[in-house]
Amino acid sequence: MSQSEDDRARAEFLAEAQEIVEALSRDLLVLEDANKRGLTLPETVNDVFRGVHTLKGLAGMFSFERIAELAHVFEDLLEALRLGRVPMDGGVLDLLFEGAEGFQHLLAGAQRSDAAVDVDVEGLLARIAALEPGAASQRDILSDYDIDPNILSVLTEYEEHRLRSSFEQGRTVYRFRLQLALDAIDTSLAGLKERCSGVAEVLSYLPSSSAEVKDAIEIELLIATRVSPAELRETLDRPDGLLIPIERKRRDSIAPRMDAEAGMAAASLNQAAPEVEPSEDTGSLRSLANVVRVDIGKLDHLMNVVGELGSLRSSFVQLVERLRAHSTDRELIFEAQRIQRGFQRHLGEVQSSVLGVRMVPLSQLFDKLAVIVRQLARDQGKEVQLVVKGAETEVDKLIAEEIADPLMHIVRNAIDHGIESRDERERLDKPKVSNFGIRAFPRGNHVVIELRDDGRGIDPSLVRETAVRRGVLSEHEVGDMTPEDLMEVIFRPGFSTREVVTGISGRGVGMDVVKTNINRLGGAVEIASELGRGTTFTITLPVTLAIISALLFQTRGRVMAISLSAVREALRFEDYALRTVEGREVLDLRGETLPLCRLAELFGLSDGKSVPERMLRTATRRRRVHGGEAQQADDAEVFSSEPPVKSRSGAGFVIVIVVGNRRLGLVVDRLLGQQDIVIKPLGRSLSSVPGISGATDLGDQRLVLVVDAPAIIDEALLGRWLRPSLGGQA
Amino acid sequence: MSEAPPLASRSEAPELERVDETGTREFLAFRLGQERYALPLSTVREILRIPHVTEVPRCPEEVIGVTSVRGTVTTVLDLRVRLRMPCERVTARARILLVDCWGEPIGMLVDEILQVYRLREDEVELTSALGSEGSGYVMGIGRPGSSSRRRDASGGARVQEVLILLDGIALMKEYRS
Repeated sequence: MSQSEDDRARAEFLAEAQEIVEALSRDLLVLEDANKRGLTLPETVNDVFRGVHTLKGLAGMFSFERIAELAHVFEDLLEALRLGRVPMDGGVLDLLFEGAEGFQHLLAGAQRSDAAVDVDVEGLLARIAALEPGAASQRDILSDYDIDPNILSVLTEYEEHRLRSSFEQGRTVYRFRLQLALDAIDTSLAGLKERCSGVAEVLSYLPSSSAEVKDAIEIELLIATRVSPAELRETLDRPDGLLIPIERKRRDSIAPRMDAEAGMAAASLNQAAPEVEPSEDTGSLRSLANVVRVDIGKLDHLMNVVGELGSLRSSFVQLVERLRAHSTDRELIFEAQRIQRGFQRHLGEVQSSVLGVRMVPLSQLFDKLAVIVRQLARDQGKEVQLVVKGAETEVDKLIAEEIADPLMHIVRNAIDHGIESRDERERLDKPKVSNFGIRAFPRGNHVVIELRDDGRGIDPSLVRETAVRRGVLSEHEVGDMTPEDLMEVIFRPGFSTREVVTGISGRGVGMDVVKTNINRLGGAVEIASELGRGTTFTITLPVTLAIISALLFQTRGRVMAISLSAVREALRFEDYALRTVEGREVLDLRGETLPLCRLAELFGLSDGKSVPERMLRTATRRRRVHGGEAQQADDAEVFSSEPPVKSRSGAGFVIVIVVGNRRLGLVVDRLLGQQDIVIKPLGRSLSSVPGISGATDLGDQRLVLVVDAPAIIDEALLGRWLRPSLGGQA
Repeated sequence: MSEAPPLASRSEAPELERVDETGTREFLAFRLGQERYALPLSTVREILRIPHVTEVPRCPEEVIGVTSVRGTVTTVLDLRVRLRMPCERVTARARILLVDCWGEPIGMLVDEILQVYRLREDEVELTSALGSEGSGYVMGIGRPGSSSRRRDASGGARVQEVLILLDGIALMKEYRS
């Protein structure tokens, strides 16, 4: 195997192992929750077992020995759990969680090729060994029931355990005998199991040989349930089946019916059993094979190609228009239009499927957060109940990746500082178990994620004091800030520290980083807090970064774009009354006051031609002559499908942008229309230009800058603090 | 994308990698104002005619703007500003050198492309040997034709051309993020 192939296989393993461990953590949380409510979930224990088993196999294959060893140890523990040799309790769950953390740790080490990373496998092993109380010495409950010994003899240890615990839980176990067509046996059984779920548990199914029907087989199912026989019969929905309860033995009753029929059944059972069992496994294998893991880079490439096709489409449309204007061949025009429409339709489909491929459910993230909540709460002796809603909401993979750290930071803060200790909560007469809610839901082109705790809340007066003490704001500035404005101060650089007892502080990074990261994605974060009642963070994110609908406009001769998802409306400037409030221009818009921002001034754009144009004009003009191409100089020609809307007096237009609950009117010179654009980053070298989120190529090799609406709103409304030390503007 | 070579791991030593067995290195010479400069040829990816450049506000003065090079947004720098030279209007001879900056190309505007020089080791004076401090952008001085062997061949009476050899990596180090 070559080096790169080897690396690829390793990366592939690490990705898969990561997925398994994530699923594992998720299942453990489910088990813990069930355990608290006094339930055991045998299916979930099995899932965990299977996951660890697969992990062991994979780790062995790629010689990650420590991972394999840890997996082996856990497989043993899970096996003991499955078979009921070890009872499921808090201690066992803690061990299992520790194991999952151990895997995470080892995997992270493997990812960095850091051989020094290790986990105390032996210590865990010793603790697991201490759990197992040797062979169970209690009396076997099975001997109390009238069970055909031939059946008992073919049950696996696990099935026997399930049978035993069903009796122990006071459930009734039925034998359900029915005939199934041979060719559909798998689906029929799966159907039966599915119908039973929630009502009854199918403990085992055993083929029996008594039936003489061709192409069919008689099967006997062992079903445990609490419902009445009638209800069970209805659930099973197989009137042809025969339902026989397994009765409790009367004392000293001797009822071994060792007749010939039963003997034959036993014989065939022994052969058939192993064939039935793997059917479950083939089911899960099939679902695995349906998933393809793809490098996100390949999707980016695909996205780029689709973007280029979009540019081609625009040229195509123009071509057809020209044809219509100049040709008299109606048939040809008609044909061209038909093809162009078809192309457009299919392109639209390709676009949305590529976008769809990039979408992942937020549950991927929320599951990780749930593990963190659990860990933190346990470490700090706090009791936190996590309520997650809308985990199925989908966002672009890239956004899911980028939002992980900010979310983690907010969760950490909430549990570290927002949520009070158990004693304190009791003193305050609050519920002992605190409630932490994560809710996600789509809103238009955006996804909203809400994180709500019921902790201390943030004290505005403390924020004011800290802001002044830390030199974030002057005494004068904080003086006339509303409590709402003060909440925003938390996001300012230099504010977050551990000293802020009120709840929001950081480890190393502050809330300003959280905000910056969210803004970089074109999102916004808002904070609302009620003292003593809790804090809510509301994060608004675009669903996708790749293709967006944008409004193109012109200001001081420069064409720019802004994401349409942030635009509420565009107005003709002179139709509204302009006023000045505290030195800031505002507009009366239907009874509301809209603060204005002259974008050209904010960006320090000089009058007339832009710098590169002035400087490069000679060269460009010369090139035009050389190339002999009819290139138009006027920017407006780029969007030839519609003539640009020009304001009458030249006073311009106001683009009303809304991010979260903040509004701002951007004053620009002209509106140039709407277009789907692919936003490209400015490149690492210019990655941090405030107010610009990227550039887009409109298909004529000219780049148009895309304005970062959330950043502009922040800057215009909250002052200039966002601007870093980049010089250069006029 | 993913197939880009791992440039980050490239040595940060002065770029003298293109040294052949005779100790000759290749430099691309260009004109900035009245001066003649050169960059190691191996650092130059491509030479472009002046494309449409879009101004980016709030950038350092030396950044002319961004341009699209086959779909990739590329920053274009004005080398004259960087080297604190007076800016004259750009002529049709001007070109943009695409230079590798840690895996990402950066464009550098120059007034004119001159030629490729193959400089022998004894035709290059490294700044380190000169002991001058300077901006750090200058790697050394090239004197094509100063080699004793060449002088022998050409009679030795030629006016000496001087090339200021730039260190491409030092020029762009602010743009590494």
